[in-house]
Amino acid sequence: MMTDKEWTPKIVAFCCNWCSYGGADTAGMGRFQQPASTRVIRVMCSGRIDPLHVFNAFLEGADAVLVTGCHIGDCHYVNGNEKTEVRYQFLEEMLQQLGLEPDRLHLNWISASEGERFANFIKDVTAKVKELGPSPLKPAGVK
Amino acid sequence: MTQKETITENKQEDELRIGAFICECGINIAGTVDCHAVADYISTMPHVTTAVVNKYTCSDAGQAEIKKAIKDMNLNRVLVASCTPKTHEPIFRACVEEAGLNPYLFEFVNIREHCSWIHMWEKEDATNKAKELVRMGVARAALLEPLESSEVPVTDAALVIGAGVTGMQAAMDIADMGHKVYLVEQGPSIGGKMAQLDKTFPTNDCSICILGPKMVEVARNKNIEIMSYSEIVDVDGYVGNFKVNVKHKPRYLDIDECTGCGLCTEKCPVEVPYTEFNEGIGTRKAIYTPFPQAVPLRALVDKSICIDCGACIKACERGAIDMDQKETFSELDVGVIVVTAGFDVYNPEPNNEFGFGLYDNVITTMEFERLINASGPTMGKVVRPSDVKPPKRIGFVQCVGSRDKNSNIYCSSFCCMASLKNAQLLKEKYPETEVYIMYMDMRTPFRMYEEFYNRARDMGVRFIRGRPAEVTENDDHNIIARIEDTLTNEIVNLELDLMVLSVGAVAPESTETVRQILKVSKAADGFMMEAHPKLKPVDTTLDGIFIGGMTQGPKDIPYSISQGSACAARATRFLAQGKALTEGITAKVDDDICVGCGVCVPMCPFQALSVEDNKLNIITALCKGCGTCMAACPTGALQQSHFKNEQLLAQVKNVFAYGEV
Amino acid sequence: MANVGDMVVGYATDENVRSRGASGGLVTAVLAAALEKGLVENVVVMKHINEFEAVPIITDNVEEVLASTGSLHSVPVNLAKYAVGRKVAMPAKPCDVQAVIEQGKREMIDLDNTYIVGLNCGGSMHPITTKKMLVEMYDIDPEDVIGEEIEKGKLIFKTKNGEEKAIAIDELEEAGFGRRESCRFCTLKIPVNADLACGNWGVIGDMAGNATFCQVMNEKGAKLLENAIEAGRIEVQPASDKAIAIRDKVNSVMEDLGSYLEKEIFPEIPDEERMQYYMDQMENCIDCGACKEVCPVCACGEDSKCTMFHSLVDNYKMSMYHLVRFMHLSDSCIACGQCSDVCPSDIPITLLQSRFSIPSQRRRNYQPGMNLDTPPFFEVMLK
Ligand SMILES: Cc1cc2nc3c(=O)[nH]c(=O)nc-3n(C[C@H](O)[C@H](O)[C@H](O)COP(=O)(O)OP(=O)(O)OC[C@H]3O[C@@H](n4cnc5c(N)ncnc54)[C@H](O)[C@@H]3O)c2cc1C
Ligand SMILES: Cc1cc2nc3c(=O)[nH]c(=O)nc-3n(C[C@H](O)[C@H](O)[C@H](O)COP(=O)(O)OP(=O)(O)OC[C@H]3O[C@@H](n4cnc5c(N)ncnc54)[C@H](O)[C@@H]3O)c2cc1C
Ligand code: SF4
Ligand code: SF4
Ligand code: FES
Repeated sequence: MMTDKEWTPKIVAFCCNWCSYGGADTAGMGRFQQPASTRVIRVMCSGRIDPLHVFNAFLEGADAVLVTGCHIGDCHYVNGNEKTEVRYQFLEEMLQQLGLEPDRLHLNWISASEGERFANFIKDVTAKVKELGPSPLKPAGVK
Repeated sequence: MTQKETITENKQEDELRIGAFICECGINIAGTVDCHAVADYISTMPHVTTAVVNKYTCSDAGQAEIKKAIKDMNLNRVLVASCTPKTHEPIFRACVEEAGLNPYLFEFVNIREHCSWIHMWEKEDATNKAKELVRMGVARAALLEPLESSEVPVTDAALVIGAGVTGMQAAMDIADMGHKVYLVEQGPSIGGKMAQLDKTFPTNDCSICILGPKMVEVARNKNIEIMSYSEIVDVDGYVGNFKVNVKHKPRYLDIDECTGCGLCTEKCPVEVPYTEFNEGIGTRKAIYTPFPQAVPLRALVDKSICIDCGACIKACERGAIDMDQKETFSELDVGVIVVTAGFDVYNPEPNNEFGFGLYDNVITTMEFERLINASGPTMGKVVRPSDVKPPKRIGFVQCVGSRDKNSNIYCSSFCCMASLKNAQLLKEKYPETEVYIMYMDMRTPFRMYEEFYNRARDMGVRFIRGRPAEVTENDDHNIIARIEDTLTNEIVNLELDLMVLSVGAVAPESTETVRQILKVSKAADGFMMEAHPKLKPVDTTLDGIFIGGMTQGPKDIPYSISQGSACAARATRFLAQGKALTEGITAKVDDDICVGCGVCVPMCPFQALSVEDNKLNIITALCKGCGTCMAACPTGALQQSHFKNEQLLAQVKNVFAYGEV
Repeated sequence: MANVGDMVVGYATDENVRSRGASGGLVTAVLAAALEKGLVENVVVMKHINEFEAVPIITDNVEEVLASTGSLHSVPVNLAKYAVGRKVAMPAKPCDVQAVIEQGKREMIDLDNTYIVGLNCGGSMHPITTKKMLVEMYDIDPEDVIGEEIEKGKLIFKTKNGEEKAIAIDELEEAGFGRRESCRFCTLKIPVNADLACGNWGVIGDMAGNATFCQVMNEKGAKLLENAIEAGRIEVQPASDKAIAIRDKVNSVMEDLGSYLEKEIFPEIPDEERMQYYMDQMENCIDCGACKEVCPVCACGEDSKCTMFHSLVDNYKMSMYHLVRFMHLSDSCIACGQCSDVCPSDIPITLLQSRFSIPSQRRRNYQPGMNLDTPPFFEVMLK
């Protein structure tokens, strides 16, 4: 039972196969400890991440969603992440207008070698979201 | 073993039967995650036929267990929860395929890098997270569909980018195995940095004497086409079928007519006080050959200083010179690419480290290599820049631009040995010279290297453990280095006639361009990144693209050559087989839903999409499966196999659950 | 010769058309000429059902075109579907034009084959609201109405027995009648995105009331106008500077009014209340899909991302369907208001959508439906 434990947010992180997923792997290889808040979903390129997926994550109960990929210029499919960036701007504006706290949605470029950066990112976001508390979109009863 | 059902006789084809294999990875996973609890939890999920814990799922025994379970229990989906798909997915895909299952019906869940290793002190949280990760995987596995990856023919030719010693080795090995090689070098000659060195450790044989014949051999090899003074502009395609656009910079002469006789250079009236090859020491003409042993031994014109006097045109007996020459381009078709684009030495000038750039008598090791080289600008006579006199006291400063928080934290690995070499050469040539090496640690691994260090000591080279805290210059232009010798705790004020900075290696601008064209990952140190630091040291994450030598990080010549050969072997596998498998993970469109709006078309970076008669047309061979187009499709008609919206959303949904895990 | 940029005042040479026309019958005459001379194969016109309602029809009969004179202040319509695979000419209000162009961007129609005669629009009214207004504000039986007109900020109705009654639009709107909500905050009054921009603003002097002001917006517009002149269907003269100035003046007054009303219609909702606001607004959605069906800028068929992953079983705090639509339309919504019009649960869906799309579009200095220069979706735009 986890009832007496501090609440841990649930964070859904979309990672591209070539960079940020690798970054998460490198964090593991380097044993960079992180809060157990995040669930990584792998896609081939950040360009695959559809606003649809992000909405669904929030509606299902995510306390934060992370959109991640390769650094600009490093996308393995020329410029998928540049398209991600454009979509993300719209998404960010929309969720902000919807009244969702800005700290619940993040875009970050993390290379496969940046394990520590990945870990720090997770730590930062988790801490921020902990302060905000559960997402207002989280359905009742969902953990 | 938790096995929910026994095998039913009348198995249905469509009925989902998922087998989950949870790996303990010794204690790597089991030390943190309660794998049995994960298996128990998951065995209660719908469609899960069996959930098993293995000590090492990837071992022979583990794989045998998977295969047996597929056969015995008619599993039609297999999930492994262990390490990262980036290294192990191919292994398990092959394993299930051997047991008769389509490899795309395999699902990988990472509970090591993404769980046990990052929550080492929170066992309960880690176990719960592992359960959820596997739950997400099971949900996705249930929706996986079989896919076919198609075979593509491989163009029987290789591209090697960069003709230093690594690239030359790679090119020769591939060529000797019977394949065509295009060896593209940005400079006017092949040879790379090694051609500039004087002697090479640990045997101190003359660098160009051992490299020169190799260069000639490369040039003579029928299978190798050298493209010197050329650069890669664009690369398109995929393993087996790369299309490469190469730019040939104008030399302002016909390379087939020029014989490198040097008559033109003699007549050229413009002489400027620098040469690339001699690291800025000495002079060269506006028309010149790079160095006497250059391959190809051909002249070129430096247009930035040429005064168009026409002297060379008159001098050239073969009429080779063409001052109106323009850059040209070639399109190459190759099956594999090897990048061996080398390194630059660290430049201490911007921060005037150790007085470099302020005082004439502070130079780098690379400059020193040219100074002491018999075919260098001083004919091998070591003189100091301020007064061209032989220095009597010379000091080497180690780790300049290496092992330093302010520049690069990595060790450049060759510089200790290079300074030991140069110190020995000085002692051999000028036994009366005082030679100092100022160091933090002397690093001399590998055969004969420690012996090499001992030899330097025996020859009287003086070692000071410490590096100058302050460097000044006196009226005689002598360098005063103030050092704390950390072995004796004494402050020394060392007066030197010449101080040599043992500069490390950095990833150059020119290779960064190539890296971005090819989309090879960059490691934290700026060099190109290999697919795996141990298991795949010369592969990249991109099929058919390999890296070797200094491109992959600092190393010495023997190590570089080994990697050149390794690249050749890895790359030639594709050429020898003549075929490669393409990704089954491509774009597919549902014609009933597609309205032909064309929104997806400009999304594709590979021009795989077009709209014809109000329907989308996909050229699957061009699709690399990035998924960018489907995120744009408003109708959802366009889907990426293996990463379908349903599959991804199943994962999303299973992050969450009602009640306790 | 008609040239791009020309501004003329003109009228139909056919007296009957001229007198029945909303202003000078020029629009009807231009459409008829386009059909007659084979510039197009079909023409879309509004077929009256009664004084308040009309349906678009597509015809290749010149007589039917000539009979369609007069403006109806009824709701906007999705005209693009009539142009699919055809060579057509059509009259269209500015928002209709925007929708047609958006469909062109999505390759649903070929804009090169679609001739658009734009009509200035100060706003349209919903037929049901109008009937109610006649009874409550004008004390007129809707059955008796034979004509309507907007003049000097007043809405005028004419009845069978020759009476006229005028009430200020402000007054009507204050009472909850008058123009549709989306027309009130609309600032695109002259269809500069059409091929020709026609209206009665700027028709002055003895021409007032029986001529049409017409601006040639592009080559297709020039062709349309020239064709009608050659056919002898219209007569035109250059608009005077004064006429042009008056048209501009009225337009800018209307634009300012639209901007002013926008602030009123979209009061700021504090950050922490917005989520609840949207949840409350969408609470009564019955998932009928009418808003998607009617949307004139969306090109999707029955199945699309917004419906495909929307399941009532999910019991989410907000509608997946609407979130996906809000996103999907955030760069292309023209706020025509048709989704609000059709919503059986009276959800002000246009207002909700506009809260997302207006700021997103403004931030990018982008207005949908103006030309083909900018590709359709946010995915493709910018950079
Ligand atoms: C001062 C000094 C002394 C050294 N002494 C020794 C020694 O004694 N013994 C020893 O073992 N090692 C020594 N080394 C290390 C040795 O120089 C390297 O190990 C070796 O040169 C690496 O070879 P490479 O082919 O990988 O790279 P490089 O020699 O750098 O060759 C790379 C080639 O690629 C070309 N290139 C770069 N970018 C492009 C591009 N975009 N397109 C086309 N071509 C491109 C370059 O022009 C170059 O020709 C020394 C190094 C230094 C700096
Ligand atoms: C709702 C509405 C508001 C308007 N507001 C203004 C205004 O504020 N200022 C101004 O200068 N002009 C306005 N106009 C335009 C003006 O009323 C005339 O349509 C224009 O001057 C052309 O006159 P005409 O005699 O040449 O047109 P006509 O020859 O009478 O032809 C009119 C054409 O418009 C079509 N039509 C009628 N109603 C609609 C409708 N609702 N949607 C699409 N097509 C329709 C008819 O089918 C016909 O083809 C408005 C028009 C409409 C429909
Ligand atoms: S997934 Fe789509 S965008 Fe990516 S390569 Fe294939 S067709 Fe092009
Ligand atoms: S975006 Fe979707 S609907 Fe439009 S053409 Fe492409 S696949 Fe078809
Ligand atoms: S592959 Fe990482 S963002 Fe495209």
